[in-house]
Amino acid sequence: MMVNIVIDGKKLEVEESTTILQAAQQLDINIPSLCYHPVLEPYAACRVCVVEVLVKGKTDVVTSCNNKVQEGMEIQTASERALRARKLNVEMLMARAPAAEPLKEIAKDLGIEKTRFEIEDPDEKCILCGLCVRACQDVVGAEAISFVERGKNRFVSPPYGEPSEACIGCTACAYFCPTDCITYEDIKGRKVIHSELHLGPETAIRVPIHQAVPMVPFIDEETCIHFKTGECKICAQVCPKDAVDHDQQDEILDLEVGSVILATGYKQFDASRIAPYGYGHLDNVLNGLEFERLVNASGPTGGKVKCANGEEPKAVGIVHCVGSRDENYNEYCSRVCCMYSLKFAHLLNEKTDAVVYDFYIDMRCFGKGYEEFYHRLLEEGTKFIRGRVSEITEVPLTPEEEGRLIIRVEDTLLGALRRIPVDMVILATGLEPSVDHNKIAKTFNISCTQDTFFLERHPKLAPASTFSDGIFLAGCCQSPKDIPDTVGQAGAAAAEALALADKGTFELEPITAVIDEDLCSGCQMCVNLCPFTAITYNKEKGISEINDALCKGCGTCVAACPSSASHQKHYRDEQIFAEIEGMLIE
Amino acid sequence: MPKLTLDDLKKLREKARRTTVLREGGDFRAKVTVHMGTCGIAAGARTIMNTFMTEIEEKDIRDVLLTNSGCAGLCSKEPMITVELQGQAPVKYIELTPEKAKDIFDKHVLNGQIVQDYALGIGSEKTDVS
Amino acid sequence: MEEQTSEKTYRIHLMVCAGTGCVSNNSFAVKDALKEEIKKQGLENEVLVVTTGCNGFCERGPLLVVEPGKIFYQQLTIKDIPHLVEEHFLKGRPVEKLMYSPPEDKTPIPVLNDIAFFKGQVLIALRNRGLIDPEKIDEYIARDGYTGMAKALTEMTAEEVLEEVKQSGLRGRGGGGFPTGLKWEFVRRASTNNGGIKYIVCNGDEGDPGAFMDRSLLEADPHSVIEGMVIGAKAIGAQQGIVYVRNEYPLALKRLNIALDAAREYGLLGENILDSGFDFDIKVTRGAGAFVCGEETALLASIEGRLGEPRPRPPFPAEKGLWGQPTCVNNVETWANIPVIINRGADWYHSIGTETSKGTKVFSLVGKINNTGLVEVPMGISLKEIVYDIGGGIPGGKEFKAVQTGGPSGGCIPKEKIDLPIDYESLSEAGSMMGSGGMVVMDEETCMVDVARYFLSFTQDESCGKCTPCREGTKEMLNILTKITEGKGTEEDLTLLLELAQSIKDSALCGLGNTAPNPVLTTLKYFREEYEAHIKDKKCPAHVCRELNTYTIDEVACVNVGKGCDMCRRNCASDAIVGEKGKAHTVIQDKCIKCGVCYDVCRFGAVKVD
Repeated sequence: MMVNIVIDGKKLEVEESTTILQAAQQLDINIPSLCYHPVLEPYAACRVCVVEVLVKGKTDVVTSCNNKVQEGMEIQTASERALRARKLNVEMLMARAPAAEPLKEIAKDLGIEKTRFEIEDPDEKCILCGLCVRACQDVVGAEAISFVERGKNRFVSPPYGEPSEACIGCTACAYFCPTDCITYEDIKGRKVIHSELHLGPETAIRVPIHQAVPMVPFIDEETCIHFKTGECKICAQVCPKDAVDHDQQDEILDLEVGSVILATGYKQFDASRIAPYGYGHLDNVLNGLEFERLVNASGPTGGKVKCANGEEPKAVGIVHCVGSRDENYNEYCSRVCCMYSLKFAHLLNEKTDAVVYDFYIDMRCFGKGYEEFYHRLLEEGTKFIRGRVSEITEVPLTPEEEGRLIIRVEDTLLGALRRIPVDMVILATGLEPSVDHNKIAKTFNISCTQDTFFLERHPKLAPASTFSDGIFLAGCCQSPKDIPDTVGQAGAAAAEALALADKGTFELEPITAVIDEDLCSGCQMCVNLCPFTAITYNKEKGISEINDALCKGCGTCVAACPSSASHQKHYRDEQIFAEIEGMLIE
Repeated sequence: MPKLTLDDLKKLREKARRTTVLREGGDFRAKVTVHMGTCGIAAGARTIMNTFMTEIEEKDIRDVLLTNSGCAGLCSKEPMITVELQGQAPVKYIELTPEKAKDIFDKHVLNGQIVQDYALGIGSEKTDVS
Repeated sequence: MEEQTSEKTYRIHLMVCAGTGCVSNNSFAVKDALKEEIKKQGLENEVLVVTTGCNGFCERGPLLVVEPGKIFYQQLTIKDIPHLVEEHFLKGRPVEKLMYSPPEDKTPIPVLNDIAFFKGQVLIALRNRGLIDPEKIDEYIARDGYTGMAKALTEMTAEEVLEEVKQSGLRGRGGGGFPTGLKWEFVRRASTNNGGIKYIVCNGDEGDPGAFMDRSLLEADPHSVIEGMVIGAKAIGAQQGIVYVRNEYPLALKRLNIALDAAREYGLLGENILDSGFDFDIKVTRGAGAFVCGEETALLASIEGRLGEPRPRPPFPAEKGLWGQPTCVNNVETWANIPVIINRGADWYHSIGTETSKGTKVFSLVGKINNTGLVEVPMGISLKEIVYDIGGGIPGGKEFKAVQTGGPSGGCIPKEKIDLPIDYESLSEAGSMMGSGGMVVMDEETCMVDVARYFLSFTQDESCGKCTPCREGTKEMLNILTKITEGKGTEEDLTLLLELAQSIKDSALCGLGNTAPNPVLTTLKYFREEYEAHIKDKKCPAHVCRELNTYTIDEVACVNVGKGCDMCRRNCASDAIVGEKGKAHTVIQDKCIKCGVCYDVCRFGAVKVD
């Protein structure tokens, strides 16, 4: 319903749900306010937006932020009475928070030069408008900060002034604060703000990395306020395309396919497992991928190599074979570390003045151009030290070692124990099968090698196929390999899959097992034994059935069937007996 | 305790009223004063008091006020009581026994017949010099 | 000791006051002594000891009323008991020396109703005070308890109950004076949100300095509040009631909980009350004692477990109250009036009081007054009657100066206005307010600037700090008042003080802030000359503001009357008095810290204060 009102002599027709403040804005009449924010419920605490209203023959001074218009209401935004209250309230706030900028502006507009009241703290900025508290409670729903104490002693704080568990580090409070009295550093101390690989600030909505495909932002449920508190959804409010959907769920799709290429990748070795290397608790010990990100031009530092304190390192150690070629962890060679370590050394030489130490067991520069690259590094002045690093420590023995990381190593070429102080250590972490490797193997019914990488059908003749027809392998899931090798194998796997599709038909094994329906007792022993999951139990008929396409004719079920219901085609008992008899005749 | 109905509430009120009526300063049909000075107590005024208490309780009488006062002056005639029916002059009874007291309660207090045999006199001495 | 039961017949009932005032004067010990002595005298079957709620005459506690006859004993000690029991209860001779004698006339008054303090009172909300044991529901029922509720639930429709309350003219007793019936109607008409229920709340968060109406009522007659709430629930259509009591009232809480349990056991609360098909129950929420929680929106926030802070109205609790549902908040005293209104009818209630203010009001009469206590008087009674007739005047023959009503939100009414009738409008015209019923009497020795400063220091302390005018304004007003009482005030300060007071009144968020300047505004209005004396002459006419006092010794009086007793010099903490025994003493003004000890110790009136 529309109502007619008069503001400062100007007539206006507005919806009756409009507040006086909103109505005045429609007429471009400015009513100053401090605690009002359009996305929050009116709080009516600063009492700066007071106006004088005449309604139903009664005059009153009311706050315009929360009081709604009424039919026939006459509003004076700057009457003597309203101004008296507004000015005094501003003047009193100036005594509390003399350093608050928005307050100074309002005071200037009102012609207040200086407060008549005693200033306690000239640097105070907080005007107790409650925007931060309300943002935290109403928008974020975290309720990590609140007003503490009452009356003149009131202030904003987390419970007991301690870092609050409830704080999710969203910085919404600082965002809403009109006087900048909540600073970013304040919050950082309370809560680790997540970073991309722990190297820089990270928001809940982001593109994973700048080279990501597809280049689409996603919501990180771990850090998104909405998924923590059920509130917020500010992103959906501001998105002009209505593209944000908080209800989107992971979907499980059923697809029918003729063949599958497994390219499930690898997992980087967790360097914190090797405690003496200090990864995880020593600030400047990075793993391979972290350094890769640090040195990347789109990374958190714009490609500049910096230690945690922001300074460029003067010396960097690169440790090879972390988690590889080590019987305590993985015996195999991860194949890629030597070369990426050399790349890092090269980048360090190029981008910094740091001295680069490279600790290796053997330098494995296989293939085209790799050995040449190694020689180039030698020429660049990288210091190669042959020997396994025993410890990385920050405990100094000499003044030069003070405040640095010390790498302890046996230099096997010199035959001496050495302590080498550096500012940053890069661990050339090895490659391991991905976390759910075994689950995938089970799902696709393929085998794994001893080190749990997927087993190929033949190491030389069929490196991209598996023992299951139509299942192919590509990349590090089969064994550690570098990018060229991976691309090569992926091409091979794709070609094999395409060849199958192109043929359009599938040749069955001629020799498969069959189950005699009359004899099968439905004990399901064969179902569990079949290594190719070719046997299923038919509940209706109460018997087991064999899928011809899956059966490889291994004969396990034939041998195991207690009621002799399972037969191998062409190798039925009678046929074998007849053969034996035939042989015996001779 | 089962839940009350409206009737229960009324009954409960009536029952409880008998206790509190004493505090209401309402109208009492009769007032029995047992004189309980040292002389009276020595002569057995307590027994007389108890007799009246028992009578009142047993007969469930609620509009008779039983009270005590000091020595009435006639120490030799104790135990004594004064019975005062509403709107009537007080009657003093002397040299009481529990039996006599019961008799007085039934006849005088409840039925308004003064028991002449035990009565000392009707009316009270002036208490005010003026 | 074996419990006596009220089932039996007793010839004497001893009503021992167990209100907080008497309890702190040891009335429980007196009660135990009574019981013991009665047993010793073999009277345990004849004399019943009853503990009652506050009798009202707190000045004279511990109190004992003997029924029948309403013989009133006061200021009892354990030592008095053996004598009392033997004389009065055994031998029937009331003990005069334990009776009340008015200060001016030393004749003891035996009967309660003849005592001036009680004579002028009309008891509606406090109808059961001193007459029942608040912990025994049967005694409440005996005094027509729950008949009003029974009538409302079984004989009347909700509209009829509402109409009755509207017709009665009852207005909120918590301070605002909003017509109760109208408030109920708003809540009745409001619709619930998201299938919730309506609530009614009893506001027992009494926080005014010197006020104890709600506490006494809850202690003396908790069932009347419960009954009132059930009736209100019926009229409004509420299903849940909440009594908000501050935790500093342990006795009130205890008795309220006993009463709630008893009512529940009798089925007077809960489902299908008295077979009427009406369901209602009451919960108790304990408040932590913030004054601002007496404000209804802050109170609701506190019940919800949030910070006890007011929020802007509208929306009013009648539309969006507790948990966002329509909620009716009324004060303890308001609820206690309801059963009587239903029982005796709106017309009867309407006949008491003035044109606009109906019924009675309970006041706690404190300060410089002979009869401190709790009084219930009909609306329209003059201030004079309360102060002089019921209150017994000012002690020590001092002159009456002003009375402060409405607590920190109210104002001071000067002696020129002593004929002022007590009703909502007259008080508000005089610049004060009814408030919840605190009445602080002040005599000539009270400094009005100091009074204003005291109340401001209270509101400043109790301000929640949410809105600027109340948080900063009360602080600034207090600063100015402190300056004035220290003799550092200026004319400009007075102008600023007035400006602040008016601006805060206009622009504060809730009632606490809106009314906080009232003590300043009224004292400025009626006692401006005192402010000016502080500012211009640097003198406190009542000699309360120490910094402004000058102590001198009248040498003639010192030597001639006091023979130079040397008392003042020996007690002076700052060695500011010189002189020796037998000779005149003098004050060295530079050293004097104005503590006033010399003035207090001089028995000869030789020390003068100016």
